[in-house]
This record gives sequence, structure tokens and C-alpha cells, in this order.
Amino acid sequence: MVSIQQQLQKIKKENRLGIMTHIVVGYPSLKESEKIIQTMADAGVDFIELQIPFSDPMADGPTIMQANRHALQNKTKVKDAFGLMKKMSGKISIPLLFMGYFNTIFNYGVERFCREAMECGCSGLIFPDIPLEEEAKEHFLKFAKKYNLSNIRVLSPASTPERIKKNAEVADGFLYFVGRKGTTGAKTKLDEALNCNLEKIKKYVKIPVAVGFGISETKHIKSLIGKAEVAVIGSAVLDRYAKAGIGKELEGVKKFLKLLINSASYKKPTR
Amino acid sequence: MKNIFLKTQYDADKRGHFKKYGGRYVPEMLIPALENLEKSYYEARKDPKFTQELMELFQNYSGRPTPLYFAKNFSEHLGGAKIFLKQEGLNHTGAHKINHCLGQALLALRMGKTRLIAETGAGQHGLATATVAAKFGMKCTVYMGKVDYERQRPNVFWMERLGAEVIPVMHGTQRLKDAVTATLQDWIANVDDTHYLLGSALGPHPYPSMVRDFQTIVGLEVKQQLKENYGINKPDVIIACVGGGSNAIGIFNPYLEDKNVRLIGVEAGGKGIGTVGNHAARLQKNPKVGVVEGYKSYFLQDKDGQVQNTHSISAGLDYAGIGPEHALLWEKKRVEYNYVVDKEVIEAFNLLARKEGIIAALESCHAVAYAMKLAPKLSSKKNIVINLSGRGDKDIFIVADALKDKKWKEFIKNKSREKN
Repeated sequence: MVSIQQQLQKIKKENRLGIMTHIVVGYPSLKESEKIIQTMADAGVDFIELQIPFSDPMADGPTIMQANRHALQNKTKVKDAFGLMKKMSGKISIPLLFMGYFNTIFNYGVERFCREAMECGCSGLIFPDIPLEEEAKEHFLKFAKKYNLSNIRVLSPASTPERIKKNAEVADGFLYFVGRKGTTGAKTKLDEALNCNLEKIKKYVKIPVAVGFGISETKHIKSLIGKAEVAVIGSAVLDRYAKAGIGKELEGVKKFLKLLINSASYKKPTR
Repeated sequence: MKNIFLKTQYDADKRGHFKKYGGRYVPEMLIPALENLEKSYYEARKDPKFTQELMELFQNYSGRPTPLYFAKNFSEHLGGAKIFLKQEGLNHTGAHKINHCLGQALLALRMGKTRLIAETGAGQHGLATATVAAKFGMKCTVYMGKVDYERQRPNVFWMERLGAEVIPVMHGTQRLKDAVTATLQDWIANVDDTHYLLGSALGPHPYPSMVRDFQTIVGLEVKQQLKENYGINKPDVIIACVGGGSNAIGIFNPYLEDKNVRLIGVEAGGKGIGTVGNHAARLQKNPKVGVVEGYKSYFLQDKDGQVQNTHSISAGLDYAGIGPEHALLWEKKRVEYNYVVDKEVIEAFNLLARKEGIIAALESCHAVAYAMKLAPKLSSKKNIVINLSGRGDKDIFIVADALKDKKWKEFIKNKSREKN
């Protein structure tokens, strides 16, 4: 399995924007999650977030919230997420990350969670609700580091230069920038202030930047070329999955992702 | 002028930690807004003009001080300690919630915000928020779990009359906690012009401390009224219901340092605390610490940390978490936390109505129900103060249902048959 660093270098070498996609473990079922991950990897994405479902996902919009709820109704457990991580990290070569909410880690035990995540082949952690100020009590950064997990910091357009600097100091792998204010969810128009905000972030952040929230069309991807290193496609994939005809879901996801991936190259397409 | 900004050994540190509880566990996008709020809260604390303005609003708008009433009939009926009722239900809008709404609205104005948003359970906090929004000419959106939205229709109706937009929250358990999540999400999206007027002493720092301070007026008045009106130096027992814990912390706060005053918080036992989903008693059986909705405290949650369903006859106590200062007060054994079940609450409601002519909110009736158990065990020389946090008008449908009132049912049927 390649590391986050290696994958980022590969993206750079290939002169393109990287693509990170997202699934909710157990949505629509554990078995289907497995197939979706495989489909995403086959389509050629660079990273996949495996979201551990949580009852109160405060940073997620309606699509992903609904998926969380569905997964919990399916009785998806934290250990299922570890199981899926282990299975898929053995099958595919791109880095897989856990995304979720801190209560999951806190209940599991911070060190135990990080250790078992590493053992299952997880490369990084995206947990937006554990700010740096709580580190002294939780030791989240410490244990992520100890077990070689990239701690992906999440910043937003509301972040002040001071906050950006603070997070940049501990950010590892890449930085996750929330492209617009608000929760996750596909929007047709990206935040107009995105460019200006990205410049603000880039001033302090020296590692690659992934931009998420709201990316659902090739024109969104194109608008990021040269400005960020990775585009995150979250709820748009879930929406696509839900809209595809029965039995054609995976095919729909693959087609959609291929389209987006093809638009991520720096080189102008030949006509 | 009263100083509502007290110092006790149970206060949070600079980062909002009540020892191991509290804190600020939120996504980065909310941090600047919370830092801004914290700054203006600390500035307001030091500004006598702020307190003065708030006190004037308390008096002239809300009708403070609310009476401290000696419930003689009720006490004699129970045959034991003397029971005093702090009549927060006589506030404008009918509950203690107006206290922290006025305080936060003044802060929002100081910060230049033009829109207030709030979560609400019973609807009392939403009503109070809509009220202050109307008064100060601010826009207002209130989120309410769909279950509460349906069972508290009268409050929804009044909020709308006050110009607020009320949005039923369809996700999760469709109760208070889901309304909190929805409000946080609105705030994340509209943080520039919006203040989240949080309705209890919980959530990320500085809310638990700030809401407590705005509610402390309740305990301060009790202190003064006991002395001036009844010649009582201090009460022996104070009882308050605890959902998130705003009314309880408000009446407890001035007494926290006085160990001779026994403080009792009463949780919602619902249909019984033996079954998950049937109650909202967080501190009764093996309480479990978690980090939810921006703060660390005790939550009803499963092994994986998934927040569990709750039930209470009173929407205002139907909540899986408890304010972080209460978590500390429980750990330090400074406050006792007990529970009563729905059935006892209805009995308390009936008895208080019959004996004193007071229709109390079902939330507050939890405290009354516990006092009914405790008072007969104490001598008539002992004094109990109950924080009667709200009045019960809003609960007319629920109480009528619980009492299986046939005439009421008929009335509803006839009403629905009426042609427009």
C-alpha cells in the first residue's frame, strides 16, 4: 500500500489534481460499502475517506447525515469500520482514511483507536470536531503521530490567519479546506470567495491542500486546477449512487468519477 | 444592582473546562465565532452598563423579580418541611428561559449580529428567543425536533406570530439533540450575521458559563427574598429539574459554596430508567462520559458512543446530555441528582394545581414530584425551595392526554370538524 506522501508525489508527477472520495461505512450496507470502495479505486481516485457513522454528525449536510442514520439503523458498529478498513486496505493500493467524530474515538480510547486503525491499514484521520485546544486533554495528535497516521486538519473560510498558522504547524499529509461555509453537500455553485480564501490558506500552509464540500461537476474540478492539490468529492457520489437505477448504482458511480477524474488533468484535453 | 457574575470553585477555567468536562469540541469553522462570543462575553462581564441594561430589561420587560411564594397548603398537605416556590413561570413568556435570552440578545447586539437562531425542546426557549428577536428587531429561526414540533403546537404557533421561522428537524431522533445539531449547522453556514442563542447551560465554551451567569439572577433573588420576606437566612434544600440544566444551575449557583444548603437536581425518569429510550436520566445508572454537540459531559450513549433515544413527558427534559458544570457537580457530589417518572410528574402537577392554584410546567413538576417525596421526611423547621421554572399552559394537550380527559378529546374532535 502506498502512503499519503507517496500518493501526493504521484499526483504531482502526473501533473493533475488528486481526487479524494468518501463513503459512509455501512451505507447502504457493509457489503455495498466494500463494492463502492473497490469501484472508486478502480475508477482511479487517489484517496478514500471511510466515514464511521455517528448519531450526531454536526458537520455533515442532509445527504451524508441520512447515510449515517441509515448505516446506524443497519446496526453498523465501530468494529465493522475497522473490519472494512482492514479488508479493503489489503485489496487496494491507494491510501484509505477514517473520517468521523471525536466521540467515536473518545469512547474507543484514543490510543487504542489509533493503534488499531494503523493495524488495519488506515493512513490518516479526518476528525473535524477535535480542535487543537483540546489536545492537552485528549492527546489525539500525539497518538495519531505515534501510530503513523496523518492527522488531517480541517480549515474553513472562517479561519483566521492565527487559526490557519496554528493548524499548519501540526498538519500532516495534506490539509483539508472546506471550500465554503456550511455543511457538506453538493451545490451547483462553489463559493465565489474560494479563490481568495485558498490564497489566504496557501500563504501559511506549505503542505498540499485538499478542497472539499460542494464539488459535484467537472467545472468545479477545473476551477481548482493550479490552486489546490486535491479535490474532495463527498455527497455528490452518494447522490449519484442514489439516483442511479437499481442494479446500476456502481456503474453510475464509476462513470461519474471517471468523468471528474478525466477533468482533473493539468494538460488541456486534445480535441 | 446585583452582581450576576459570581466566582465559585466549580467555575470553568479559561478554556471552558469544568475540570475534565466542558471544553470546545467543534469544527474549526465555528471556532472564530465562539472566540468572538467569548471575547464579548468577558467584556460584558466587566462592563457595569451591560449588567445595568440587563437588570432593567429583567425588571421592566420580563417582570423580575419573580415571586418567592410560600406554598402553605401544599406544605401542610405533605406534612413536613415548608415549601417555597420560585415562580419563574411568572416571567414574560412563561419560563426562566427569558433570562438567558435577554442576556444573549444584548451580547448579540454588541457583536453587531442581526439574526438569532435557536434550538428548542418544549418550545419555551424558542418562544423566548422569538420574543427577544422581535423586541430587538432581529431575524429569527428556531429549530425544533419534529416530535416536539408536533406535541408543542401552541408554542410553534406563538413563535410564528412573533415573526420567527420555525423549522421542524426531520433527522435523527427528531428531538432536542437533533434540533441542536440543526442549529449548529445553520450557524456554520451563516456565522457572519447570526448569533446562536443556545438555550441551556451546555454546548461549547463559553455557553455553559454564560447561560449560568444570566440565570444566576434566580438564585440571587431567592437569597434576598428568603431573608427579606420570610426572615430565613438560607434554605435547607433547593430542588430543580435538570434537562440541560439552565434553571437548576441558575438557582444553585449562589449556593454552591455553602455546603449547608442541600442541592438536588431531578432528571426525567420517563417511563422508567430500566430501559434505554424510555427516559432521560443521564446520571442514574453507570453514567458515561462523551463528547457530543461541542462539549464533554455525561450522555446517554451506547458502547460505540452513539447517542441514544430518550423519552420524557416533558419535551424540555427530553435530552440525552447534561450541562458540563452539572457533570462536575455530580462528580464532586456537591449536587445530588435523582429522578422521578412521568406518572409521578402528573400527580405532582395535579396536586400543586389543587392545593395552590398553580399550573406548573411538566418540566418543573419533576422538581415538585421529588419534593413530595422528600418533604414529609423532613421536620417543619426545614425549608425547601423549588425552582418552578415554568408555567404549564403550554402543556394543555399533553396533560389532557395523560389524564385521558374525555371532554377535552370531544372538544378537539369538534374543533377539527368545524368548517372554515
